[in-house]
Amino acid sequence: MLIVDCDCHNEWHSADELLPYLEGWWVDCYQRGEHTGPPGAFPHAHRAWFHPEDFRRFDFKPQSKEEHYTKMREMHLDANNIDIAILTGEEGLEVSTLANPHYAAALARANNDWMVNDWLPLDDRFYGSLIIAPQDPALAAEEIRRIGEHPRMAQVLASHGSIMPYGDPFYHPIYQACEDVGLPFAMHLGGNGGINTMNFAGGNPRYYTEAHALLIQPAQTHLVSLLINGVFDKFPNLKVGVIECGVAWVPSVLWRLDAEWKALRKEVPWVKRLPSETFRERVRFTTQPLETPPNRDHLFATLEAMHGQETLMFASDFPHWDQDEIAALKFPDGWAEDVFGGNALKFYSRVKQPAQRAA
Amino acid sequence: MAKKETKHVVCAVAELPPGARKIVQVGKRSIGVFRVGDSFYAMLNICPHQGANICAGPLGGTNRPVSGYQYEWEDAGTVLRCARHGWEFDLTTGANLDDPSIRAKTYPAFVEDGNVVVSL
Repeated sequence: MLIVDCDCHNEWHSADELLPYLEGWWVDCYQRGEHTGPPGAFPHAHRAWFHPEDFRRFDFKPQSKEEHYTKMREMHLDANNIDIAILTGEEGLEVSTLANPHYAAALARANNDWMVNDWLPLDDRFYGSLIIAPQDPALAAEEIRRIGEHPRMAQVLASHGSIMPYGDPFYHPIYQACEDVGLPFAMHLGGNGGINTMNFAGGNPRYYTEAHALLIQPAQTHLVSLLINGVFDKFPNLKVGVIECGVAWVPSVLWRLDAEWKALRKEVPWVKRLPSETFRERVRFTTQPLETPPNRDHLFATLEAMHGQETLMFASDFPHWDQDEIAALKFPDGWAEDVFGGNALKFYSRVKQPAQRAA
Repeated sequence: MAKKETKHVVCAVAELPPGARKIVQVGKRSIGVFRVGDSFYAMLNICPHQGANICAGPLGGTNRPVSGYQYEWEDAGTVLRCARHGWEFDLTTGANLDDPSIRAKTYPAFVEDGNVVVSL
């Protein structure tokens, strides 16, 4: 069975690895300017909820730049028979938290050049994510056009922490650029510090435990916003991925949204179909961290309600503390091939199926 | 009659100082052997949660359940936190701290003739 891991994190050993890809004043900014931590830390605004044990799994501790790859290969890619890994970077996603959009864009650009030069050549199984700083959509679109046609870039990626809902026309230049280069747009949990202040509806929780359970909320806002602001009509070839934001909530939000739209369609006349129909056709969710209710039938009923056989794509979230184990993941009968690989191959149109491996 | 247990020498006692652990292969089984003070413990290196490498996790204490907003740190030294997903287990019994009916497999471990020995 083909396995595509749609959320495999590749991290720098030190953010100094970005230096060759920074230019001019940005070198000074990075070297002499303020950092979030000691030299070698990535300049970003960290979220205020610290994981009490670190968000990485305890048994993954690379000691050098090289080990970030060799240990990933040994502990994950080979051990779990991963055929294709969509690399999602790590702290690079946090460029969305910086106030200075020019510095954020320069760091995003460096992150992407680092992805292309330092990671993609390491392994035939790798495809990259093109990270953008969405707080300046014009600069983000420029970056998408600069490197978005690279044959091993699979998607444009932004944090789900943001300054406003992603359906807002403010962001449409990003979607235009995605269409122009033929890449899907995806959001990944993160970017929940700095200028991205609205991560939790109702107010800030006190504990990481609360925060991590509630970080599905921005994704709910973005999904509704994209559907109701007509993004999918305006950009008929755009596909959207939602990574690590939970899945069991999706049917309930879509049921509500369909009901609102049936009664209030005159408020949003540019929305021409049931939001749930557009969702089914154009939006894909990754599985990790898959909810684990005591009664598996409850989960399966929920996954069926979101047409999960078409809309779900497997993701591991290696090497994080809440990584899903392939052996422990169960889906309704007959879904495995679609969820573990088939849906990703359709969604990531640039990703090619590897030649059948020798038995 | 009880199933016959077999003893396996892990190492000389001196090779396992207090606070240390060894993860050893015994036949097909990966076993974590721990020394806490002068007590020895052994656990199958498979977490009952999702099968991960439980014995590579940090060993220490935990915060006891309390009634007010406070932390009562209990440094038992024998709370093993799975290396992968963080579930907590009592190394001495294998019981999960949240739901004691979930148990990691443990084995007797002791010193015999100057060696650390596990009985499987």
